[in-house]
Amino acid sequence: MSLRSIQCLVSCLAILLAGSVSAHSAEIPLHQQIDSLIGVGKTQFEKTASAPADDATFLRRVTLDLTGTIPTSDEVRVFLADESTEKRTQLIDRLLASPEHARRMQYVFDTMLMERRPDKHVPAVEWRNYLRTSFLNNKPWDVLVREILSVDGTDKKTRPAVKFLLDRELKSELVTRDLGRLFLGRDLECAQCHNHPNVDDYLQRHYHGLSAFLNRSYLFKDPKTKKTSIGEKAEGLVSFTSVFTQEEGKTAPRMLDLPEIVDPKDAKADYKVKPAKNVRSVPVYSRRLQLANAMTHPTNIAFRQNIANRLWAMMMGRGFVEPLDMWHADNPPSHPKLLDLLTKELQKNGYNMRLILRELALSKTYQRSSQISAGAEIAKEIDFGVGQLKPLSPEQLAWSMMQATGLTVKTLKSLKAKQVKADPKNGAKKTEDALWQEEALHAALNKNVTAFITTFGFVGAQSSRFDASADQALFLRNGPLVQSWLVPSGDNLTARLKKLKTSSEIAEELYLSVFSRLPEKKETENVTAYLKDNQKQSQQALQQLVWAALSSDEFRFNH
Amino acid sequence: MRRNQGCNHLDHHLARRQFLAGAAGGAVGLGLPGSPATAEKIKGQHKRVLQIYLQGGVSQLESWDPKPGTEHGGPFRAIPTSVPGMHISELLPYTAKQMHLLSIVRSINLKTNDHRQGRLFMEKGRRAGEYPYVGSIASKYLAPANSELPGYIHISTRGLTDSTSAFLGAQHGQLKFEGVKPPKNLAVPKGLDETADARRVQLRDQFNQQFRVGRPKSLTESFDASFQQAAKLMGRKAFFEKAPDPKDLERYGKHDFGRNCLLARALLENDATCVKVTHHGYDSHAENFNFHLEQLGEFDKTFAMLIDDLHERGLLDSTLVMVYSEFGRTPKINVRYGRDHWGSAWSIALGGCGIQPGAVIGKTNEKGTAVADREVDAGHLFHTYLQALGIDSTNDHDIAGRSIPIGDPTAQPIKELLS
Repeated sequence: MSLRSIQCLVSCLAILLAGSVSAHSAEIPLHQQIDSLIGVGKTQFEKTASAPADDATFLRRVTLDLTGTIPTSDEVRVFLADESTEKRTQLIDRLLASPEHARRMQYVFDTMLMERRPDKHVPAVEWRNYLRTSFLNNKPWDVLVREILSVDGTDKKTRPAVKFLLDRELKSELVTRDLGRLFLGRDLECAQCHNHPNVDDYLQRHYHGLSAFLNRSYLFKDPKTKKTSIGEKAEGLVSFTSVFTQEEGKTAPRMLDLPEIVDPKDAKADYKVKPAKNVRSVPVYSRRLQLANAMTHPTNIAFRQNIANRLWAMMMGRGFVEPLDMWHADNPPSHPKLLDLLTKELQKNGYNMRLILRELALSKTYQRSSQISAGAEIAKEIDFGVGQLKPLSPEQLAWSMMQATGLTVKTLKSLKAKQVKADPKNGAKKTEDALWQEEALHAALNKNVTAFITTFGFVGAQSSRFDASADQALFLRNGPLVQSWLVPSGDNLTARLKKLKTSSEIAEELYLSVFSRLPEKKETENVTAYLKDNQKQSQQALQQLVWAALSSDEFRFNH
Repeated sequence: MRRNQGCNHLDHHLARRQFLAGAAGGAVGLGLPGSPATAEKIKGQHKRVLQIYLQGGVSQLESWDPKPGTEHGGPFRAIPTSVPGMHISELLPYTAKQMHLLSIVRSINLKTNDHRQGRLFMEKGRRAGEYPYVGSIASKYLAPANSELPGYIHISTRGLTDSTSAFLGAQHGQLKFEGVKPPKNLAVPKGLDETADARRVQLRDQFNQQFRVGRPKSLTESFDASFQQAAKLMGRKAFFEKAPDPKDLERYGKHDFGRNCLLARALLENDATCVKVTHHGYDSHAENFNFHLEQLGEFDKTFAMLIDDLHERGLLDSTLVMVYSEFGRTPKINVRYGRDHWGSAWSIALGGCGIQPGAVIGKTNEKGTAVADREVDAGHLFHTYLQALGIDSTNDHDIAGRSIPIGDPTAQPIKELLS
């Protein structure tokens, strides 16, 4: 029996099994299954779990998670006034269908896959646009990954997808490690240093199996266009551009514990395009193209587990396996059954990530308050019984501050006016288009986002842990960018506050705009006391009132 | 007092911090910068690191391991130093007089000729993986709890930002100074006076109090710590902006490197834990000899003055000094009179805290083409730096339940170099 037929058999079995599982649970929506599995085996779970978050908190949380920014004060008012029992579901569906959701996913997956490394061969703008377009169309994860791992960079249309491989310069140690970390959730290289001898052996085999997929590929620079793309040799032991070692070349490609993918005997050293000086060679049998297949093949369960874990972490603040790329015997998932359920659902639904995000957002687990009741003990993070504090990403922080201070609304207004003026015939209609609005606003304000990324982002493996450094605090505290947003202008927040007569009105508008909720009585009193103390410098006092709210803990985290 | 001298057991890290906060609190207070009296006050209170990073890869043949008169030796002579029998390149005449305070490792083989890989290996002691830099480790385990300065400051005149702290957290990441320019955003925004600034910070605290009820503290505390650290830096604005003493400048040299080293001295005297100064421009693929004449001409006197000052002010015993690159340069001289990347047989200089002075470790063969004795790599050096600082590098970082060996478990320190 050939290898391929074994793989087929295994995958057919897997599909059958998956089908039989889902048949039992067809009537119960996924989010309810999540909620019934989260506390399994923990007798105290319901006691320690927190209450559902109120509407305002939920609105802020889900808007941040799905669209990367906080809601406007108007959106908060409307949502709080909405009496529909289905309003949370409707909100989730509206957010998921918005162009802002695609942008948020672009940020999340760009950061995850490229880890903020500087550009090498493929411009980030093109790559990000490729990602965003993919998410606008809700491209399934396996399709996206197949594209990323199989393109060679020669076709202008598909070239952006080659960034993952090309910008790592096909360096074996880098690409192999990142394939393991980002697509399989396993840091094979790191774990090579593990003290445990069994784990060590086990992972080295995986590492070399993965690296063998790419050991014949090399960077090719076209002498005419000066563009770099991927060439490939037909033989294993190739010395080219000093990227590979002999040892790796001797290993046949394999995906973790799946069988080795042996080169077909008849295809030995045959080329579609033979290697020569200044020629990009293309073999008849490509090991590299086997990578995309093997990675996304139904038998490769680690591929599904990884993305299930990452989507969970994106919404819940930490993965079942944490760090997200450290899945090994000594660090098993906290909720194996639940992870298994999500993994199967992903497969059943053709890697439809939007569907999974929707179900996660609908779950009670996602919608729990991050605050425990007075006197109760703070529960363990790993139990998911209490909402987690999620630090805003640099992009979320930038967009949220621009939203809170009223910069986004003000900018969009002027962009629309400009468009109408430039195109009196169709301009008005065009500016009503949600995609146009998102793209225009992004183009106008992206430079501010970049300033936040420079200060709050970092190059290298990303972590869900929160870090804060002095230069970040100085940026928030004294930086001219944030201060410039506080100056009254048009109908931005400070300008609106300035027009309000009473301090309780000011407190309400401030809280709705910055904290996306109404103030409590005590909070209104505090604002009143502050304003009373600073009557002389009323405009400056208002600006710094907004500043204090923007730089507070409550704003810094998604709670 | 043992724990005060460095961290031997990381499990006791917390206890050590509390100890420092309590017992040493009075002595760690800040005096005026630059005066030897201040140095006296903090002397022995905590261990420090001074890193001089010769970016691009200094030539070992034109510095610590000269081979005059041999095939690849180049035009420069070797000169005697203050250590009998130890010779270094004639490009380092001032440094030669300080060699009784320093030691040389001449047998480094990194097995890489790549700038980035070499640099990361030298900083992390590992060939690959997300590990913290020496400076971030120093910040985590050596910095006094109530330090007025960030634990790891890098003075450089060029970009390149690395994630230096890995899993140790951003507060231990390097704070970058662009030359002697102070950190950005130190001044209170225009239109705000001190009272108004204090009031808004108080207001921010008020917002925070409300939010913290019923929530875990670790995240918000970490966010708040960054604001406290920022406030401390703001309080030191005058210190950062203070022009150097003209006399000092005369001694150190009026070039960027001279100014940067003066700032490094002031920072170390004021309780900074790790200060790194990068001297750019050693990547001499062409005109290696002219380049080194110029570059080392700038380095030599400044560095010698700095070592002399640290020694005289009693800081050297508690300050580990490292002079290093990402690799050395090829013995073979290329057609452009250059030397290329060479990680296989090169040298660094070390001194100060925990280092046996006046030693020469290892050697290269006659022509300098290979290590002939006592081969080491950056993993061994990494253990050596940390153990010189009293940190048990064979121990584990204990981070959120994960145990990660501090140094590469397959490498060992250079024992004979430790005092």
